[in-house]
Amino acid sequence: MAEQPEAVLPLPPSGAADGEGPTDVSPGTATPEPPSSAAVSPGTEEPAGDTKKKIDILLKAVGDTPIMKTKKWAVERTRTIQGLIDFIKKFLKLVASEQLFIYVNQSFAPSPDQEVGTLYECFGSDGKLVLHYCKSQAWG
Amino acid sequence: MEEDEFLGEKTFQHYCAEFIKHSQQIGDGWEWRTSKDCSDGYMCKIHFQIKNGTVVSYPGTSTHVQTCLPMEEALELPLDDSEVTEATAATEVIKYEYHVLYSCSYQVPVLYFRASFLDGRPFSLKDIWEGVHECYKTRLQQGPWDTITQQEHPILGQPFFVLHPCKTNEFMTPVLKNSRKINSTWTCLCFHLFPRNVNYITSWLSIVGPVVGLNLPLSYARAASQNE
Repeated sequence: MAEQPEAVLPLPPSGAADGEGPTDVSPGTATPEPPSSAAVSPGTEEPAGDTKKKIDILLKAVGDTPIMKTKKWAVERTRTIQGLIDFIKKFLKLVASEQLFIYVNQSFAPSPDQEVGTLYECFGSDGKLVLHYCKSQAWG
Repeated sequence: MEEDEFLGEKTFQHYCAEFIKHSQQIGDGWEWRTSKDCSDGYMCKIHFQIKNGTVVSYPGTSTHVQTCLPMEEALELPLDDSEVTEATAATEVIKYEYHVLYSCSYQVPVLYFRASFLDGRPFSLKDIWEGVHECYKTRLQQGPWDTITQQEHPILGQPFFVLHPCKTNEFMTPVLKNSRKINSTWTCLCFHLFPRNVNYITSWLSIVGPVVGLNLPLSYARAASQNE
């Protein structure tokens, strides 16, 4: 279950590093490309007052796509759709030839460079952004 | 196995019309063109882009905005502007053309596209590949000739690159089925059941467009859910 190095561990209450460096405390987010685990963490323990840096995302599977055990995640606003796709693919252990698509409003695929923070502003409600994800062999 | 979500031609045209309505509202540049005998038509968009890797900055514009604003007006600046060190020649500006046609044989929309430099030199398939977003490259490179081919445009008769439509139903079907569960439905002129609040063309183009450098502004997503 927690085998992959990229798998996100529950947030420690004191904010102590869990091997990947501090995940909550990143003022300014200086590192250009933090490991995906630093930007995505299970949303269960994220304090409400920290919504400036991270937004809550609820992931829903579409079709035959495997359902993620953890559906609610706190994600940094600057995380791109592509970053989220990579994260989910690793989490679901998809092979490289499988595509994963993410949709807002159930049916619109934002471009890979789109930031989740922007999507939250446009499509979020009840304090979260609902994203549907679907695996597919889209081409070839 | 699940029934595929086929699209009839009249329904295709209906969704294109809705799509273009929103495009006009936001100045995204899509228009409808008909063949000479007006028997069929297609959606078309032209946009200009600075070649990958050269970033030309002028006040108020960023490369992220290119899908929302036509670049034509901004292009007057770099050609003469001495501040521009990289994109100095006209050959660094690329004209992209995207056409959305209906495929009767596959009963799905198909994306035709071509690109050329301003001096008329066409883009080769290799040049096109360089423009494909990183996240799609691995998958497409495993079998590029299955996915992007060069074909004659059915209406214009000129060579275009085409994103092969054979798998379209595979990625559209789960999305439409899922939406049907959530939204109410309507029966189209071809007697297919479509979910309300979903524009097939918008969804489809949001998925295939980024593969070839075409990104739809987010407002299309909201427009689709407000229609019908």
